[in-house]
Amino acid sequence: MLRHIAHRLIISVPVLLGVLLIGFLLLQVVPTDPATVLAGPTASQAEIEAIREQMGLNQPLWLQFALYLGRVLQFDLGRSMISNRPVIEEIASTIGPTVELMLACLVWAVPTGITLGTLAARKRGTWLDRLIMAVSVAGVSMPVFWIGLLLIQYVGGAGLLPFQGRGGPIWTFEGLRHIVLPAVTLGLVFIGPVARMTRTSVLDTLGADYVRTARAKGAPEWRVVMRHALRNALIPVVTLIGLQIGFLLGGAVVTETMFAWPGVGRMAVGAISATDFPLAQGAILMLAVAFLAVNLVVDVLYAYLDPRIARS
Amino acid sequence: MSDAILDRAPDADAIALDMIRRKNAIWRRLLRDVPALLALTFLILVVLAAILAPWITPADPYANKLVVRFTKPWTVGRDGVFYLLGTDNQGRDMVARLLFGMRSTLTIGVIAVLCGGTVGAVVGLLAAYYRRLETPLMRLVDVLLSFPSILFGLAIAAVLKPGLPSLVLALSIAAVPVIARITRGAATVVMQQEYMEAGRAVGLRDPALIGRYLALNCGSTILIYMTLQLGQIILLGAGLSFLGLGAQAPTAELGSMAADGRKFLTNFPHVATIPATAIFLVVLAFNVVGDALRDVLDPKLRQ
Repeated sequence: MLRHIAHRLIISVPVLLGVLLIGFLLLQVVPTDPATVLAGPTASQAEIEAIREQMGLNQPLWLQFALYLGRVLQFDLGRSMISNRPVIEEIASTIGPTVELMLACLVWAVPTGITLGTLAARKRGTWLDRLIMAVSVAGVSMPVFWIGLLLIQYVGGAGLLPFQGRGGPIWTFEGLRHIVLPAVTLGLVFIGPVARMTRTSVLDTLGADYVRTARAKGAPEWRVVMRHALRNALIPVVTLIGLQIGFLLGGAVVTETMFAWPGVGRMAVGAISATDFPLAQGAILMLAVAFLAVNLVVDVLYAYLDPRIARS
Repeated sequence: MSDAILDRAPDADAIALDMIRRKNAIWRRLLRDVPALLALTFLILVVLAAILAPWITPADPYANKLVVRFTKPWTVGRDGVFYLLGTDNQGRDMVARLLFGMRSTLTIGVIAVLCGGTVGAVVGLLAAYYRRLETPLMRLVDVLLSFPSILFGLAIAAVLKPGLPSLVLALSIAAVPVIARITRGAATVVMQQEYMEAGRAVGLRDPALIGRYLALNCGSTILIYMTLQLGQIILLGAGLSFLGLGAQAPTAELGSMAADGRKFLTNFPHVATIPATAIFLVVLAFNVVGDALRDVLDPKLRQ
């Protein structure tokens, strides 16, 4: 198991380096010269040169990348060009709300999706199966902003729930009220894939030998489905959820922007619109690292659920 | 957002083999699927409407007419003209905006899928033909596949400035991995066919073998999957445009139209919801057709 984790960690390193390289190049191809911007409009040529020297901008590119890596490892991502606060501080204040939103989405969408998928598999070929599958196809086809628009218009517009910003920590009443609409928006697009995968997977396991054995032993039907079929069926579902985290992240960017949720995604979009390059780069880097970390966790979880994987 | 397609990517080898063997049976089965046929008909109509937009439009999609701004759908405006879908904040006819918006959205999607799909197809063909390249190329594809497409969108918009070129580039990258996988699956099957061996025996060189035999025999599979990808790519593109990272005002594009309409959501919801619903319906149609096709093609699901 430990070896498996170590192996996965080592594999993530080149990907992480790739992400960092993209992040670095992001700042290189920027049309504006950072030294000129930092020096301000009244600076003389000599002052700009001094800043260039100080920032290491005269060094060869590979050395600059190495220096950049060193800075990133020390959590130094530069300063926002607009607020002049360190990028890392800006990110630190937004990562919490994003994680909160994604968890709030997963907490209701995953169980719902699994339930629907199991139900569909159990009632295969009936109208219920067809309905659930139709709903889940509709789910994966819905633009996140379409759901958001409808919810804001009908639920938010009617004054039932707030739809602007975060109301505080999730355990407070206001915090809970504020997270409902964004979490529902994000979750609705997530149910479809989970339900579909669960259905396919449960159908597979329902036909397996050990399920026939369980039935032959006289186990009650609910026990056959819940204990024998569903438990084994969840392995591919966990993988899917891991893979879909990227998709969820994309949805989170849109959801945060729509509901003025103070998360990383909204910050990234805002920074790009305002051409605040260090902040944009930091936010994108943060999202990428978060994505890799979640994938790593899913990989490990996967190996835990199915020990055959760690051994191979 | 293209990741939703993942659960439909596996078994490429089996699908490809099957497709090559039983083209007619596939069509016959598909024609019996009523929802899929409806969706297909709808798609054909939408594409026709988008192509013919300049000729069938009731008004200029960019002509402001402030007298009739915010006319509600299905009403007669202050200028005495009947507006089927109403007008927006500048009095522009929503039917015209929708037609031209669909036109740009589809065009962006098609260009991106063609560019990204071509790159993906080349990668897949090379991976199948040169066994040495297979592992590094497919690893790269796996990384691309798992990486959130929206991050590419954000990163590219940050570098190139938000706009159509960066949008098309981001969408093209998003289209590469799925097509690469499907192509490799199909090409691996074709590689085992006798005519490949025969081609090599008569002394054909690699480029001829890959271009004339391998690529052509995988062609239909690649084209079908490129078409199916379109739904996901449109969804992603609309999302990026909605964030302001794609098409810029005043361009009629469904995602940015929905974003513009957001400001008037409380009083005039139709300005935002009509384009957003249009995207939903088109993507839904693509997915329904894609599902039907997959059910027919995937031998594992057919019983």
